Amino acid sequence: MNYGVPQEQDWDTLSDAAFRAVVRAEVEAHHPAELRYPPRRLRWAENKSWYLRMAAKGWIAPGWPREYGGMGLSASKLLIFLEEMERWGIARFQDHGILMVGPILMRFGTEAQRRRYLPPILACEEIWCQGYSEPNAGSDLANLRTEAKLDGDAFIINGQKTWTTLAHDSTHMIVLARTDKEAKKQSGISFLMLDLKTPGVTVRPIRDLAGHDEFCEVFFDNVRTPATNLVGKLNQGWTVAKSQLGFERIHIGSPKLPEYGLQVLLSVARARGVEHDALFRDRLAQLQLDVAHLGDIYAHFAAIVGRGEALGPEVSLLKIWATETFQRIADLIIETAGEFGGLTGKVQMADGRIEVLAPFYKARPTSIYGGSNEIQRNILARQVLNLPG
Amino acid sequence: MSDDTLRMLRDSAADFATLDGARVRRLRGTDPGFERDRWREMGDMGWLGVLIPEAHGGLGLDLGAAVTIAEQLGRALYPEPYSASAVLATLALLHGDNAALKQTLLPRLASGEIVAGLAWQGERGGLDPDQCSVKLRESNGAQQLEGSSRFVSPAAADGYIVAARAAQGLELHWIARSAPGLACEPEARADGSASALLRFEAVGVSADTRVASPAAASAALRLALDHATLSTSAELFGLMDCTLEMTLDYLRTRVQFGKPIGSFQALQHRAVDMYMQKEMTRATLGAAVSSVLDPACTGEQRAVAASSAKARASQAALAICKEALQMHGAIGYTDEYDLGLYFNRALVLSASLGNASAHRSRYASLAALP
Repeated sequence: MNYGVPQEQDWDTLSDAAFRAVVRAEVEAHHPAELRYPPRRLRWAENKSWYLRMAAKGWIAPGWPREYGGMGLSASKLLIFLEEMERWGIARFQDHGILMVGPILMRFGTEAQRRRYLPPILACEEIWCQGYSEPNAGSDLANLRTEAKLDGDAFIINGQKTWTTLAHDSTHMIVLARTDKEAKKQSGISFLMLDLKTPGVTVRPIRDLAGHDEFCEVFFDNVRTPATNLVGKLNQGWTVAKSQLGFERIHIGSPKLPEYGLQVLLSVARARGVEHDALFRDRLAQLQLDVAHLGDIYAHFAAIVGRGEALGPEVSLLKIWATETFQRIADLIIETAGEFGGLTGKVQMADGRIEVLAPFYKARPTSIYGGSNEIQRNILARQVLNLPG
Repeated sequence: MSDDTLRMLRDSAADFATLDGARVRRLRGTDPGFERDRWREMGDMGWLGVLIPEAHGGLGLDLGAAVTIAEQLGRALYPEPYSASAVLATLALLHGDNAALKQTLLPRLASGEIVAGLAWQGERGGLDPDQCSVKLRESNGAQQLEGSSRFVSPAAADGYIVAARAAQGLELHWIARSAPGLACEPEARADGSASALLRFEAVGVSADTRVASPAAASAALRLALDHATLSTSAELFGLMDCTLEMTLDYLRTRVQFGKPIGSFQALQHRAVDMYMQKEMTRATLGAAVSSVLDPACTGEQRAVAASSAKARASQAALAICKEALQMHGAIGYTDEYDLGLYFNRALVLSASLGNASAHRSRYASLAALP
């Protein structure tokens, strides 16, 4: 069966340089200039024109195999593809369908599930969000209480998810729900798919302290999802969900955000006339080195992915270094900005307009989401350094 | 150079160079502060000649081999002046333009018969080789060196390659330790080794002692310094890796309040921060060495790579050693415990050839701003 648009060619026959040139030409010719380097997460209404174009071209799922409608890129070409998107300042969309749901269905799903769900993901007709965190299950995710009970041919879901990114732009959700209350924490959880239009679902956006509403809380009141929407085996949802976490960590570990932060820092320093100040120069040099060295260690992990090998728990260090470097840069931005550090939105500084607080607001939650940095340090301490429990 | 060659070097260096705390302690404060016999054994192993061409009695390998050996020596806290003599002084000679001196000295350096130092810094230190304070003067038709140079390592070398400012630019000269007019004042370093303050009063030089003419001297000196900076960074990496491993062992076994102290989250997270510093150093040093080994690497790119690695390695080594001391508690502050040996060596190597702050500053002035 054809899951998506056929590819123009077998990309693996191109050299890395030729492939990079093809991708670069495409984004430079067609990506809307006003969407480059957005200061906040874009809503679907804002960036869908670009992503629908990518979908129509067959480029929406670069990492998926061709048999499932992806570009079938090798790991090294996939990194080139992502680098070119980052180089042009192209923001992600609500891409959990591509990054999580697709790979999970390929690995754990049934043939019927793949036929039903992969084509609309590839067409961007169905947009997915991730229903993992709950009010009492953040870092301790296995403590989740949302419950799903099998009733004939459907699961009945009751409970609440929260911090669900862009649920209000999504049509579907992957839900981790407790299906066995007697079992030990991790072992009584199942992985379900849910259409958010189902009666009993309420999505409520949460305004964040930057003034944006990127995340939501989602309530389930006797929501029925077909039993055929169970992915993997009953009570094996933890294994299914965990299988995609390494990739998330390398994604968060990209040097892109800190590099963007350095650019803002330099603009602010120039506008304030301190770019040659000796104290500022030393602090800047420290941060430049922190970012350059992030690039070195990112390349190390990317090479592991490039060789098609699995990422070990060591990748947690990439997430910590990337996010804390970004935060140090953001902190120096507002310190350098002086009085301007209290002004929100695009601020007139010297002869330019700079969104001074955007990196700061963007940086703060990076150490919270994707597994808080405290959890990453726990993982490293136990699994890499073999410290006692 | 093949991966197999590198692996063999690493394994042989690791087997040969294990920490002998008693030896390290015994040699502290002595003259010359290392063992001549051990130095010749290192020559026999080929380590002192890795950067010397085969025609001159070396192995003809590259920086990759030198940093591999340096890392192992850093683990074992060798007081023998590997980076100072076998990398820094050796490369300055090799990239100079005096064929006769290369012919006589390189085989003796490779075999471990002699030890050489490089005198390039003025009395105030600093990273700019053009700021050296030794001058070459003409007096009644004779050429003489005047001035002083500090932080010269090892203090007790058989001879020194001395950077001097001449009318036409920088020159390098080979001066035997016994040369008339040369005074060597050793200064004790934190780890029990010594560097020297050399004073030159009418020290005679000639075309025969000239390692590098103004046409070659500056480039040779900069190349040697960048390579030695990376080799010192590799020693620091080896040292910090051992210090962390030692600290993790302590955290796993030291029991207080009925539990191993490594089970306390406050300490676990700090141990992870030490581990991150170490891994960042590994990644950065590896990237810097690769970039220097690239035949297209320019002198400026080489300097950026060296500064990048040394800034990280110096900072990380000190951070790790300070945390290691805190986690060990009082036992770590005793001379009897090996941690102090690592700690004091970290102080010396971090400061030598430019500390973190000096290299940050050089990095900032060379690397293009984003």
